[in-house]
Amino acid sequence: MLRNKRSEALIAAVLVAPFVAIYGLVFIYPLTRLFLTSFTDAPLIGSGAYVGFDNYARLWGERRFDTALWNTAYFVLLTVVPGTFTAFAIALGINRLAGRIQAFVLALFFLPYILPVSVVYLIWDWTLNFQFGIAMYLFDMVGISRVPVFKSTGWFMPAVAFITIWWTAGFSILLFLAGLRSIPAEIYEAAALDNAGRWATFRQVTWPLMWPITALVLTIQLILQLKIFDQVYLFSTGGRPNDNLVLVYYVFQRAFQSDQGGRAAAAAVVLFVIVIVVSVINFQLTRLSKGGAR
Amino acid sequence: MFRMLKLAKCIVVATALCGSAAHAQETVAWWDFLSGGDGVRMKQMIADFNKAHEGKIKIEATTLEWGTPFYSKVQTAASVGEAPDIMTYHASRIPLAVKQGILQEITADDWSKMGLAKDAYAETTWDAVTIDGKQYAVPFDTHPIVLYYNKDILAKAGLLTEDGKPKGLDSRENFEATLQGLKKAGVKFPLGSVTADGNFMFRTIYSLMGQQDGELLTDGEFLAGDNAQKLQNALALLQGWTKEDLQSTYTDYPATVALFTSGEAAMMINGVWEVPTMVDLHKQGKLFEWGAVELPVLFKHASTYADSHTFAIPANKGKDMTADKRAAVLEVISWLSKNSLYWASAGHIPAYGPVTQSAEYKAMQPNATYSPLTANMIFDPKTPLAGVAGPIFDVMSNYFVPTLNNEMDPAKAVEEIKTELNDL
Repeated sequence: MLRNKRSEALIAAVLVAPFVAIYGLVFIYPLTRLFLTSFTDAPLIGSGAYVGFDNYARLWGERRFDTALWNTAYFVLLTVVPGTFTAFAIALGINRLAGRIQAFVLALFFLPYILPVSVVYLIWDWTLNFQFGIAMYLFDMVGISRVPVFKSTGWFMPAVAFITIWWTAGFSILLFLAGLRSIPAEIYEAAALDNAGRWATFRQVTWPLMWPITALVLTIQLILQLKIFDQVYLFSTGGRPNDNLVLVYYVFQRAFQSDQGGRAAAAAVVLFVIVIVVSVINFQLTRLSKGGAR
Repeated sequence: MFRMLKLAKCIVVATALCGSAAHAQETVAWWDFLSGGDGVRMKQMIADFNKAHEGKIKIEATTLEWGTPFYSKVQTAASVGEAPDIMTYHASRIPLAVKQGILQEITADDWSKMGLAKDAYAETTWDAVTIDGKQYAVPFDTHPIVLYYNKDILAKAGLLTEDGKPKGLDSRENFEATLQGLKKAGVKFPLGSVTADGNFMFRTIYSLMGQQDGELLTDGEFLAGDNAQKLQNALALLQGWTKEDLQSTYTDYPATVALFTSGEAAMMINGVWEVPTMVDLHKQGKLFEWGAVELPVLFKHASTYADSHTFAIPANKGKDMTADKRAAVLEVISWLSKNSLYWASAGHIPAYGPVTQSAEYKAMQPNATYSPLTANMIFDPKTPLAGVAGPIFDVMSNYFVPTLNNEMDPAKAVEEIKTELNDL
């Protein structure tokens, strides 16, 4: 059949145009401005003089930025892999249930995911508040001394990581469940005929077949957790926020508290680059290791 | 057809009526950050204003989140011409706002139109809104911190003087003796202290520096000379109370108020803005007898940190205010200032002199008990880095939590604060 290439291209362009226009407006344009701003000494609003790489040079070795960088890395370490495998384990458990019970248990795990972050904050503050938290009364009862969870640096990141996993696991569980359901029953039947034990079945069948899903969840989690901000901001209110800084928080402080738009932009560019580099590396690694697992 | 005509006529008449009413009435968009007991009173004042100006001026008020969120919003809104016509503003934040160019000057003409003038205000308050000889806001109140105390507990422990004030307000030794006495009498927390919130503690610690004539900023240098030592003294004093179990640890702001009102803490240092909480609870029969006095003298002389709520007019970019609108805004400020006696029931000390000099104000309790402290008030240093939720506030408060809870040595904290402040 003869096709009119030109009119097809036109239709394609018309269909794609709205997306491209919006993408340009809310992503490409701000991103360009971000890069340009990072080379100036602009305040939060308005423009500033060109200062070259000064803003970047000042990030290097700056104490607060270092804190933010390390805390972000620490947080990623605490959440990404443990969070993914917690979700996997829970999904395996739920997969063994059936019917209404399965739906009920799944709902229990998924419910926290629909809560807004401020509600999550309030729930956990009610639970772990040093003076009035419910958990503290339990501590008193069994004779453990109270722990100022969100006010001491040692406890802060692990606690926020735990809460984040509790909060966001629901979505990953759904992805894993979908994956588990798509594994054909015949494969398990064949494995059973071969007298494969539970562990061998998991190791040889479930694990490799689930690897693409695991890699996907890992990547999503990684990108998400690198951008951590809201929980840290809320839980450190009034306490010692500068000890709990993460990269986005650092950008927020520079821009909104110190009125230094240029320096904030430079930090944001650094975070942007980190997210790209880390997720590309992560993707390549998971792709390669997939081959190895076979 | 006839019906349609009738309907159209009705619509025309209705719009005409509507239009003329809108023309006569000026709407003033208002933003504030008053969400506590004082917010309730401010809403009442706005309602009273609207009633008194029915058909002429109407305030449309919005309350926003206190602190960084409020000030970020004002800044971004003003830069795109979407800020309100009038807003509440902390005097301590004015230097930064002027630097950013987001406030309109209050001109001599404005002052005369409002019928307000310099001589109606305390020197320190007037100075706080003045930058380079120009005023950028109209002070509405001053709000210092005070010492709240539970009369019942103190009386039982024999620690109340004859005029119903806590014993030992005159020196560090005597005040600590009072705290120890409370401890011995079996009180769990002699002092309820906001030890988990450095933002709040800035006020207490800055007051204690003021009691030693300490300064944060001297000729552009932070904590110059022995000022660092004075900050360290203040921190060491408060840390001492933690070590001796005289104050609550890791307590955030709401928990502190709860510890006090539930009677677990016998005393509490807090802002005058908690007065309405106490008044209301007491009225409902849910609170013991209580009082509020000026902070005890723990160092050389009395001194209390204060800030001032002011009214400011945002400089909306690319959007000039009409003369009518400006007149309406000025009327709002003028009316509220002259009727600020009611605002005193929110605990704050009205900034407008004629109100505080009135017999009605002088009879108000507990305001009258702590009012004399206005003679000993100190404000933030005047720099764009100062003010609530500003950079200085931020740096310092961060080190207060570990120090006050005995995790960090005061000397170490001061050293860190000094480094970070001079790094700003």
